[in-house]
Amino acid sequence: MASRALLLTLLLASLAPAEKVLRIPMETDGPKSLDPVRGSTTYESIVCDQIYDCLLRYRYPSEPPTLEPNLLEAMPMVSDDGLTYRFKLKRGVRFGDDACFPGGKGRELIARDVFYSWKRMADDDNQPQSWWLLEGSILGFDEYRTAQNAAATFDYDAPVEGMRILSDHEFEVVLLNPSPIFLYVLAMFQTAVVPREAATTYGTRFSRHPVGSGPFRLAKEEDWIAGKSISLVKNPSFRDELWGGAGGRSGAESPPKEAAGAGGEPRKVPFVDRMQITFFVEDQPRWLEFQAGNLDYVTVPAEYFPQAFFKRTKRLKKEYADKGIRDHAVPLLDLIFRAFNMDDPLLGGYTEEKKALRRAIHLATDLVEFNDVFYNDLCIVYDGPIPPTLEGHPAQSLLGKPRSNQGPDLDRARAELEKAGYPEGKGLPPLEYWTSQGGNSKEQTELFQRQLAKIGVKLNVRLVDFSQLSEATHLKKAPFFSFAWGSDYPDAENNLAIFYGPNESPGSNFSNYKNPRYDELYRRIKRMAPSPERTKILEEMRDILIEDVPYIGSMARTRYYLSSPKVRNFFPTETYWTWMRYLDVER
Amino acid sequence: MLAYVTRKLLYNVPVFLGIIAVLMLALRVNDPVWGKLGKHASQEKHDEEERRLGLDDPFHVQYFRFLWGFGLSAECWDKPGRTVGAELGDAIGPSLAITVPALILTTILSLGIGILSAYRRGRMLDRSLMGLAVVGMSISFLVYIIFGQYFGAYKLNQWRDKPLFAIQGYDATQPLWWITYCLLPVLIGTIVALGYDSRFYRALAVEEINRDYIRTARSKGLSERSVLFKHLLKNAMLTVITHVMITLPFLVEGSLLLEVFFNIPGMGKTLITAINAKDFPVIQGFTAIFAALFIASNILTDVLYALVDPRVRLS
Repeated sequence: MASRALLLTLLLASLAPAEKVLRIPMETDGPKSLDPVRGSTTYESIVCDQIYDCLLRYRYPSEPPTLEPNLLEAMPMVSDDGLTYRFKLKRGVRFGDDACFPGGKGRELIARDVFYSWKRMADDDNQPQSWWLLEGSILGFDEYRTAQNAAATFDYDAPVEGMRILSDHEFEVVLLNPSPIFLYVLAMFQTAVVPREAATTYGTRFSRHPVGSGPFRLAKEEDWIAGKSISLVKNPSFRDELWGGAGGRSGAESPPKEAAGAGGEPRKVPFVDRMQITFFVEDQPRWLEFQAGNLDYVTVPAEYFPQAFFKRTKRLKKEYADKGIRDHAVPLLDLIFRAFNMDDPLLGGYTEEKKALRRAIHLATDLVEFNDVFYNDLCIVYDGPIPPTLEGHPAQSLLGKPRSNQGPDLDRARAELEKAGYPEGKGLPPLEYWTSQGGNSKEQTELFQRQLAKIGVKLNVRLVDFSQLSEATHLKKAPFFSFAWGSDYPDAENNLAIFYGPNESPGSNFSNYKNPRYDELYRRIKRMAPSPERTKILEEMRDILIEDVPYIGSMARTRYYLSSPKVRNFFPTETYWTWMRYLDVER
Repeated sequence: MLAYVTRKLLYNVPVFLGIIAVLMLALRVNDPVWGKLGKHASQEKHDEEERRLGLDDPFHVQYFRFLWGFGLSAECWDKPGRTVGAELGDAIGPSLAITVPALILTTILSLGIGILSAYRRGRMLDRSLMGLAVVGMSISFLVYIIFGQYFGAYKLNQWRDKPLFAIQGYDATQPLWWITYCLLPVLIGTIVALGYDSRFYRALAVEEINRDYIRTARSKGLSERSVLFKHLLKNAMLTVITHVMITLPFLVEGSLLLEVFFNIPGMGKTLITAINAKDFPVIQGFTAIFAALFIASNILTDVLYALVDPRVRLS
């Protein structure tokens, strides 16, 4: 009898569907924290976006990235003056089950959870990394933050003038100024909604014991092995959210064929039982694990690019395509540049001579050579500070046009140098150039020195730690320095802010650039919703910067992904990471 | 013996305190707070954070605060909610799982090769072994790892039906986990160290083999095995102990490259990640622990000397 029972058990076990596991690489030692307010990097976003929910999300796939409701029934209603946002939450959204709730059963997510989560960003005791996202935006919120942090205990129940709860599922937010950027903030993982019970029960351990309403959950703290991996499992109490098929996504247009479920019908998210994220510090093991079929996708490391792709055409080689491996090129919202300190007596200033000096340096710089030598020709070299795919990015290269400063154009560079009062570089002292050490920055600097030497400009290089570079720029000590900026959200405003006068050091305007016309335009676009008129202003701001030359740039990387034939619904982007919840794999 | 050990301990206390002071000063040359705050930092936020972390306190206050527990209860900057002690506790096991077997294997093999080479000095076997050792030493550790991982794990697994070594990873809950995850890194670590250690032990054995007591032992008619492994090895033990003991602190530190490439969450990987992330409490805690271990291994070496050779105790 016992042997029959055992046989039956084994038979049933063999008939049970195998667990669907999505195997993901992460190119780092892992996220720092799974508490949304304590996270700030892509790596925290990758994990938090699966565990938590924000009010809004990006439609997947969508190009350009388009926002749609996530926890909301519809996009918020905005008053005519652009100041009041009215939100209506979906009903029946529940936090995942956890011991922090009575009886261990997750409760419904309601309006006060949203405000509680945002208030956590203001509480210094939480060491929030992203207060800047909400700073100066909501009526009375800055004052609330100052008062509560000064008080003996931070009172989360104290009112904020611009945060009004209308019912359990409806609330209003009043902004200080109209701001279309506010909607992007509502899709960022730092503003994700967390339950108060979890944050108070676990305290600082909440960083490692996340509780959210997203499609995946960290079943136990031990599933996050420091420096090695993190394993998320399907959240059984995740709401009925469909994806794929014609009506799978709210407001979706026709989805890609591949996205549809069997028979084109939408299916309930998530599609896999477990998400296994492995951390890799080195490229080789990550690449070999993908080749061995142990990962479902991989970003192609620069040194392995020629192995998988033809360098000139960027086409996938036959041996990979024959295995069913697919390639995906993802342009990043990067701004890699070298900035001048506009307050510097030698390099700064706004006279024609000063502009000519900076323009000469720009014209002598060959970014295409940098791209070829150091980036496998995978970067996009562009004019202005607005990265590819965003409104305001020049649709076509401005190269060769009068307003472009792209080099190498040594004749023009020499002419500009003469105009600046330094013919062939005579009389110009070596320029103090700061850059952070590590990677190939030493070699990059040597190439830069060689390029500028062609017009007689010498560099006095300061290779320093990033912290030293950061300190030097904050204190306006570095006259000329290299920097990179990754857009926090897909709107040109984020990049244009780093040249806005009032943001000068120690703010994010490290070049201390000030132009009244530019500042006025910036204030206008900050309040405007996307429109052709706004795009025109973005272009004007871009051209003002090209004319004043406060920096040399720009470059943006393109990331190449390879996906295994087993993975489904794969349309990668690095603008947001909620797309991972829609991935599926063949068993 | 107890007096000897106590004396050694007391001598090293000021050394340790000095090392910690220098270490803490060195880590404060560049303001660590700017590195922590990132691109959205302001001077106000910097000052606030500096105050919160107690880094604006006078140095002596920070110094004594640190000595009280080595900062192990401090929270990692890079991993909120996790203490430096937890990082250390989790990382030490994986490191030892590789470094201890590698040290034992290397010492046994290189000692054997060294003595054999010295015994056959000038002959073909000696020349071949030392030639191989020189070639082995001339190749970078990184090359061994890259090729070892590619051929030893990736290619070998393609040729076999069932994978033998994992390309990367560490999971002590799996059956035969040590063979799957650790044996290949151990073999690579051993091969890398074998060249250096074999030459070192050969030089030691050559020096000993010409001494009077070896000649006396041979003239008394003892077998070569007895001469080499009883008499020679015993007399060379002080040098062997010094050589082994000096590597002990590095065992705990782990093998950075092996851990990084094989994704083994050990001490070396943890430390380098902390350095890259400018995780000040982890860097400070780990380096202080490392300094303490170095001093402890020096004391242990002296004690072992005294045990092996009574003349040391008397001096």
